[in-house]
Amino acid sequence: MTTTAPEPTITLETPAAKLRQWAETAPDQVALREKNRGIWREITWRQYWESASHFAHALLSRGIEPGDRVAIHSENRPEWMYTDLGTVAARAICLGLYPTNPSAEVEYLLQNSGARILVVEDQEQADKVLAIPAERLPELDLVVFIERRGVDVYDDPRLVGWDEFLAEGRAHAEAHPRALDERMAAAEPDDIAYLIYTSGTTGPPKGVMLSVENTAWAGKLLGSPGGLVDPPPNQDDMTISYLPLCHVYEKALNVWLAMWYGHVVHFGESIDTLTVDMRDVQPTIFPAVPRIWERLHAAAEVRLASASPLKKINAGIWLKAAGYIGNTLARTGGKHTVVSRVLLALGEVFLFRALKERLGLRRVRHGVSGAAPIAPEIIQFFLGIGVPLFEGYGMSENCAVATTNGPGSLKLGTVGKPYPQIELKLDDDTNEILVRHPAVFEGYWRNEEATRETLDEDGWLHTGDVGEWDGEFLKIVDRVKDIIITSGGKNISPSEIENSLKTSPFIKEAIVIGDRRKYLTALIGIEFDVTSEWAQRKKLPHTTYRDLSEKPEVVALVQRAVDETNEKFSRVEGIKYFRLLTKELDHEDGELTATQKVKRKVIEERFADEIESMY
Amino acid sequence: MLHEFLPAGGESGTPILEIDDIHLSFAGLKAVDGVSFTVHTDEIFAVIGPNGAGKTSIFNCISGVYHPQQGSIRFLGDDLLGVRPDRVADRGIARTFQNIELFPQMTVLDNLMLGRHQHVGYGTPSAMIRVGRAAAEEARNRAVVEGIVEFLEIQHHRKSFVAMLPYGIQKRIELGRALAMEPKLLLLDEPVAGMNVEETEDMARFITDIKRELGIGIILVEHDMRMVMDLADQVLAIDFGKPIAVGTPSEIQQHPDVVRAYLGQEHAIAETGDTT
Repeated sequence: MTTTAPEPTITLETPAAKLRQWAETAPDQVALREKNRGIWREITWRQYWESASHFAHALLSRGIEPGDRVAIHSENRPEWMYTDLGTVAARAICLGLYPTNPSAEVEYLLQNSGARILVVEDQEQADKVLAIPAERLPELDLVVFIERRGVDVYDDPRLVGWDEFLAEGRAHAEAHPRALDERMAAAEPDDIAYLIYTSGTTGPPKGVMLSVENTAWAGKLLGSPGGLVDPPPNQDDMTISYLPLCHVYEKALNVWLAMWYGHVVHFGESIDTLTVDMRDVQPTIFPAVPRIWERLHAAAEVRLASASPLKKINAGIWLKAAGYIGNTLARTGGKHTVVSRVLLALGEVFLFRALKERLGLRRVRHGVSGAAPIAPEIIQFFLGIGVPLFEGYGMSENCAVATTNGPGSLKLGTVGKPYPQIELKLDDDTNEILVRHPAVFEGYWRNEEATRETLDEDGWLHTGDVGEWDGEFLKIVDRVKDIIITSGGKNISPSEIENSLKTSPFIKEAIVIGDRRKYLTALIGIEFDVTSEWAQRKKLPHTTYRDLSEKPEVVALVQRAVDETNEKFSRVEGIKYFRLLTKELDHEDGELTATQKVKRKVIEERFADEIESMY
Repeated sequence: MLHEFLPAGGESGTPILEIDDIHLSFAGLKAVDGVSFTVHTDEIFAVIGPNGAGKTSIFNCISGVYHPQQGSIRFLGDDLLGVRPDRVADRGIARTFQNIELFPQMTVLDNLMLGRHQHVGYGTPSAMIRVGRAAAEEARNRAVVEGIVEFLEIQHHRKSFVAMLPYGIQKRIELGRALAMEPKLLLLDEPVAGMNVEETEDMARFITDIKRELGIGIILVEHDMRMVMDLADQVLAIDFGKPIAVGTPSEIQQHPDVVRAYLGQEHAIAETGDTT
């Protein structure tokens, strides 16, 4: 007697299940666009799911079991998404490596995660993994390469091309048409879907385990009223995927939120073409890190400074208006007055529209700044020219769900109000921010000690950030570990001062020093492009970064920016002396993390002489 | 991969350029003195020698700028002697220059499109109204150029004016323009001169990829010995216009005459480990 088994039914909402659903309900709608050889090419939901499911089938055919790890080392591109969602479909765990991770860090991450399969973008990334002796990566069975160039001649038996790998998946899908659905139907809410590695400013990176349930809850909430993007994204919304997809910020926006709300994600040609890609796409939702907003701000200033005299006069008038609008919105908490509304409408005609068009921000209805603190002046500038820009706060350990500013609910200098449906409080003794909700992570991968330190028995996440309430709004004081206590016993938050310094278009990096010292000093790195242009206008000949940094004129220029910052802070928070860095800080040299955060300890050791010379 | 939009070189190891005993002199000064060699498809052939040894003169003989007084140059079986430089280019020989020869006031794309000019088969009337053959060819030319832009990783410079770009990028664009001509033989005159380590490595990677993906013949004149020894299949060493030796990089490195003329006597002793 034979009975046909019932069709597997997929009930649990995972990111992969959502993708499969889009492919059924909106198969021919555009889900992704990719610029390739100068042309934007469209990928529909059906094609999206086809590629992701073939990837998943290939994992099944290679014997990947639920809970196995699949890693990817690539810049953002559609294959990243196929890997991500295909892995989740197969109930395996996806982890991403930063494209800038050098070989030694690749080794650490692959060893720590025990990844069985690694997808590499091209020869550059392939070389990093192949440089590691195979016996040191006993769990790694397979390296799938996306770009053939240069890699297809290597004879490492672990290598297989992306196309061949997907063909394996297609063959598997034909031979076992129900295998993937069965795997997906068996998914559990506490399946780990992702390992998101912390950037490791203080120690080796730790793998944050996020479950299917975490991502589903976060995906839904981030698009709810009062969430990260408000009103929620829809299929007419467009984003550009350029922040690293292995970081929770990008993952939340362009994977989870996209799976639950279906906005169209765009992939530009490279990080270098972002300016042009933004002008092409004119995204409606634009999440960025402060660094990008600072650069856009600097680009706007440079653009206006080099305009013709008549345009300069026009710009001068309307930038004043923008200042007024920004001020008004800052004062009213994001609500327009009649005057500010009229000024904005006029400013659109005379300046803002053209300026925003150039910057690629013309259609932005919701801009976000996150992942690091931003200076309020920058937000005010963008609000003033009519780019709704809101600062939010979150971290890998809570799926980026904590607080945000939003339309009509805005306070500059704060990271906004807690999301609805979550619990957030400050520790009574330390003022550390504590968060509890269903998207708080499951623990650190293979590191119970760190898990215990971060996640208490009652389910509260200890964020490591010190906070302060400003009415209903949360203000981040600093990382617990970064607070400077001067020898006079005064607690000072260096990042506030650093961000103020970084509002100068000439300053790229600022590191304030002063822990257990009499007064504060700073190491400052110049923004080479902008400063170089300034120097050219001043007819100041220069060659390298070092040469430019050593020019007395440049030192004086930075001194003016330091003086401006000092005026904004109290006396004890003033920078008494500073030194200019003579090299650009770099991830490969171990001075920055993959997310471009400064590793203070490394800097303080490496520039010990410069620091001592100021005391 | 390049072969998706550019013609490949054909069967590996086929002779394409045969130079037999050429002599070139200017008012009695011998610039090239009895040089012979053969370049094959899928081969990087390097010409080395001290400054003024006649390396660029050999390039100029091949590309039709100079006419050797004696000897023969055959390309794909046809005699090249006396053929005008533009006709030489039409036959499938493209070159880059020691000093960049781009149009500085034009964009990167326009400079690359210029490399396609001999692949333009339509006349002015149809170009003016952009229909039929003109439109189709324009699209095909643009597709080739876009493929090259991607290959050389210069997407972000597409619309930049060449004059504004760093030297290393200009060198890439010159290579791109030569590729756009769909060459069967590529002449590279000091492609990494004046470049930093990173730029040199990028350029070396591009040259290797061109050879691997298209299998065309490449002649490389270069001072950077590490690059020559890494990339070349065959090396010809010349001095005062005279050939000293031909062989694989390792043969050339050990050849006593080359060592004497080029690398210096002292170096040779150190290399052999002879301490007497």
